[in-house]
Amino acid sequence: MLKFENVTYTYPGGETVLNGLSFEICAGECVGLIGANGVGKSTLMKAALGLVSARGTITVGENGNPSEAGNAVSKALVMNAENLPAIRRMLGYLLQDSDSQMFMPTVLEDMIFGPMNYGMPRAEAEKKADEVLERLGLQYLKTRQNHRMSGGEKRMAAIAVLLAMEPSMLLMDEPSASLDPKNRRKLIRLLKELPGTKLISSHDLDMVLETCERVLILKDGQIVADGPAGEILRNQTLLEENDLELPFCLQIQG
Amino acid sequence: MNKLEKARLEVREMDDLAAGNSPVHGMTPLSKLFVTVLYIVTVVSFHKYDITGLFAAVLIPFIGYQIASVPVRTCFRKLRHVLPLVAFVGLLNPLFDKSIQMVIGNVRVSGGVLSMLTLMMKGVFCLMASFLLAATTSIEEICAGLRKLHVPKILTSLLLLTFRYVGLLLSEAADMTEAYSLRAPGQKGVRVEAWGSFLGQLLLRSMDRAEELYNSMLLRGYNGEFYYAKKREYGRYSWPAALITAACTVLMRFVNVPAWISHVIGGF
Repeated sequence: MLKFENVTYTYPGGETVLNGLSFEICAGECVGLIGANGVGKSTLMKAALGLVSARGTITVGENGNPSEAGNAVSKALVMNAENLPAIRRMLGYLLQDSDSQMFMPTVLEDMIFGPMNYGMPRAEAEKKADEVLERLGLQYLKTRQNHRMSGGEKRMAAIAVLLAMEPSMLLMDEPSASLDPKNRRKLIRLLKELPGTKLISSHDLDMVLETCERVLILKDGQIVADGPAGEILRNQTLLEENDLELPFCLQIQG
Repeated sequence: MNKLEKARLEVREMDDLAAGNSPVHGMTPLSKLFVTVLYIVTVVSFHKYDITGLFAAVLIPFIGYQIASVPVRTCFRKLRHVLPLVAFVGLLNPLFDKSIQMVIGNVRVSGGVLSMLTLMMKGVFCLMASFLLAATTSIEEICAGLRKLHVPKILTSLLLLTFRYVGLLLSEAADMTEAYSLRAPGQKGVRVEAWGSFLGQLLLRSMDRAEELYNSMLLRGYNGEFYYAKKREYGRYSWPAALITAACTVLMRFVNVPAWISHVIGGF
């Protein structure tokens, strides 16, 4: 669960990019975040991770067992300095630039970096990494040096790094960027299969249409539309008002 | 591939070297750090005229290179920009110290020449030892070793990020130079008039990327400790090997090995 209540963020230069923004994503939902360039999609995600200090209330909840807690949330933490490590442990963030995400010499070392920081023994962390790589069909990248991968391979490896952390919620910034059609298809399949809450920021509206059940449109620092993906992404007028276009697959269908 | 891109790949090559599997790679970082520091201190402590004693000091890093399967020429290739600086140290000594300290055949060697040569040798040997440490130990392992010595987190994090930052800086510089050269055909390098804005942009861009990288580390639980740096298993021979090397280093300091060999073999 992720809840923003009246969240505002102003860049040091004075430009307000999030302006009293409020929304809530329930546990298990897969939500697409769309909007033109520079509307603050990445900043919104950084605010959720406490990487930028936004005003307002941000609450992050962990997926719980419905039979025990009675609902899908067992623990909800309000963003503050004390809760920050626990909140970051819950959220997995895929950066726009994979080169910034992968900083260890090899893919395997990058994958075990997070789990070992959180106290997982090395053998267990390596086993978990193996499982994730096998699931993604990326075993061949296991010992590959990070600087010897193509852009697409780096992207898939960065996703593997995230999944090895077993986060409760995934925040993905342009996950399909720099992927070839085959890997993009693989990513879409993966996103559909992955359980847990997901917030996907993307300009790839076709992917959003396929993977997300709900869509938020961000403009002028506010959520200007929030509804089922099938409805919003078919509303040409709404999309054009927000400097967006119909997904390509719908344009072809006419 | 431009020069900066090559330089970036060279920095990355250190990770490749550190990923090796030799007995030296298998030693604990702390034991290697101990031997390296002791070696450097010992080499530096040689008297400025003790050139014959110093000759033996090259054996320790040289043997280390052979066991680690790191070619010595790799060290000199990577340190080619630093070596002239080392060579420059003491270049003026012959002008100030003209006392005759040694006679080889009919050639009289002044103290200034001797001290210049010993200074150069000390510099080169210390660089060789430091490079061997860096080539057989990942930066994370070195930082983990330093943390065990209770070096503050802030310093070890700074060391780690500086190492990673160099790569980022070179990568950004390579991209910018490439973009510049594509729009400035026939020009060699970046025009002087463009240096200011070029360097400013480079700094801003690389700082942004470095911040992203640090954020990425924070988001995965990095708190200044290096839990992930430990290899699966370090050799049990680490400390015995380190102590033997340390003993040889100290012995080499107090026994003039070349003089002793010439005495035993040649009776001089």
